Amino acid sequence: MHTNEHTQKAETFIVPIGPQHPALREPGHFEFTIEGEIVTAASVRLGYAHRGIEKGTESRNWVQNLYMLERICGICSHIHATAYCLGVEQLAGVEAPPRAQAIREMVAELERTHSHLLWLGEAAHEAGFETLFMYAWRDRETVMDILEALTGNRVNYSANLLGGVKYDVTGEQASKIEQGLDYLEERTRHYLDVVTSDPVFIQRTRGIGVMTAVQADRLGVVGPTARASGVVRDVRVEAPYAAYTAFPITPVLAQAGDLEARFVVRLRELFESYGVIRRILANLPPGELVLKRMPRRIKAGEAISRVEAPRGELFYFIRSNGSDTPDRVKVRTPTLCNMASVLTLTVGRHLADVPMILVGIDPCFSCNDRGLVLKRGADHEHWTWDRLRQIGLDYYAGERGSGGVGGTSISPAPLPPCPPALLTGMHV
Amino acid sequence: MFGEIVKGLYTTLKHLFQPPVTVQYPEIKRPVRNRFKGRHELKRYENGLEKCIGCALCAAACPADAIFVEASENSDEKRFSPGERYASTYEINMMRCIFCGYCEDACPTQAIVLEKSYELSFYDRASAIYTKEMLIVDVPVNGRSTPQVVEPGIFNRAIPEMEDPK
Repeated sequence: MHTNEHTQKAETFIVPIGPQHPALREPGHFEFTIEGEIVTAASVRLGYAHRGIEKGTESRNWVQNLYMLERICGICSHIHATAYCLGVEQLAGVEAPPRAQAIREMVAELERTHSHLLWLGEAAHEAGFETLFMYAWRDRETVMDILEALTGNRVNYSANLLGGVKYDVTGEQASKIEQGLDYLEERTRHYLDVVTSDPVFIQRTRGIGVMTAVQADRLGVVGPTARASGVVRDVRVEAPYAAYTAFPITPVLAQAGDLEARFVVRLRELFESYGVIRRILANLPPGELVLKRMPRRIKAGEAISRVEAPRGELFYFIRSNGSDTPDRVKVRTPTLCNMASVLTLTVGRHLADVPMILVGIDPCFSCNDRGLVLKRGADHEHWTWDRLRQIGLDYYAGERGSGGVGGTSISPAPLPPCPPALLTGMHV
Repeated sequence: MFGEIVKGLYTTLKHLFQPPVTVQYPEIKRPVRNRFKGRHELKRYENGLEKCIGCALCAAACPADAIFVEASENSDEKRFSPGERYASTYEINMMRCIFCGYCEDACPTQAIVLEKSYELSFYDRASAIYTKEMLIVDVPVNGRSTPQVVEPGIFNRAIPEMEDPK
């Protein structure tokens, strides 16, 4: 027995997970090097759901892109459209009417509610707590119904327009929303009690995947993941957009930095959302829903727009050359920022904790589908753009020299050393 | 620990006696909301004329490139819609459609409306293309079917008088 344990310890395995894996519902490839049960190195490879959306925006007009960018993510679709709308309005030098801004914020907070409840179910499922999974998703139906009544769709709401919103909130709907929120508030209080007191569940969350505030800062994590480590990072507070100046929120913080803190932060954020939705419904500014005139061609320039998606900061860069289509739209989604923390936090933990740590950041792979992350041989180094270019040049030079056909031998000799793990030159 | 487990089991036991939340689709269908965006319909005026004038603005607006419109000339002997032209071919590829409702916004005569039907499934790709016959609504009770023979000079305008913006 003793010797057996000894030999097992000496052996090192690489456990590949994904891109097709029963435990992973979205395509991503992870490689965990394990010694015995302990993870000693981790790497990720993304890009299995690459759809070329950023390039696609360049061949559609400004309004059509609204609908396409909304479909980057099925869960946080409204916030993508909001980020895009705010950026384009900034470029055009216009601002949506206050009522539209308030409705934007309200739909965003409803969306956060549905996203966090979805995540709660997902995380509970990952921890083997199927009852919580079922209950959380049942209650999520309430907010899905509200969103359907408000915008006509359960997902991909299309509530935004350039220069305003499409849908008004009627008095009848407002009372329906209030009712739904009352129910959800009661249920959320119950879930908060469950995740902080159920001893079986706490064994899977307390003290697991601990990320200190310093680590969180260094890894550049965003959203609830950062706030669970005590880092105040919330675009709604730091740089209020839409109606967040009129209807502010207070950031929810936790200091522990473990998985339990992430549960607590997300659930307590729900109360913030309910509160702000109630305030908006009570004091919805009167006026128009949409601007009288929104230009079809947007004047040339560049704009950056940052919003707080349910998972963290969502960043849009939009460049216009004065035509009716954008010149460049760059999207950086929060999951990409948080992915590095998974790789760091899993090292030194048991393999069984890996799914929980991964789900702790609320990963969204379709938001996250970058192209172009290559790995060289056995080491886990990523190739930089310069290095790839050099490889390409060498490849074609070699091919021409050797007479064309079959010239696949790449000579990796005279390359400059490249900095590790640089994720550069990528597209959603 | 034991007490906590009993508490958890009591929670699940309570739910055993509550009515199930599952809707037994397809036997029972949950009603959709008013603003729901389902399958498109091409509308008619009360007299039976088609609202669609074949301008193809919906096709131009469509972000998913799902709509194909071909227009032909109207005449008073063979009138489909008010104005000069009507849609002789109107096809929506339901596999491309993203149900965003932008076609509805673009339509100058409110001819295309996203209605409540959501049961769209096909056995092959060809049947995903909904033709004009499948999309257009039935002729209203007081109306006549198209093409109609009409008095000259009444339906010269593509957007009839009563629909003019005030």
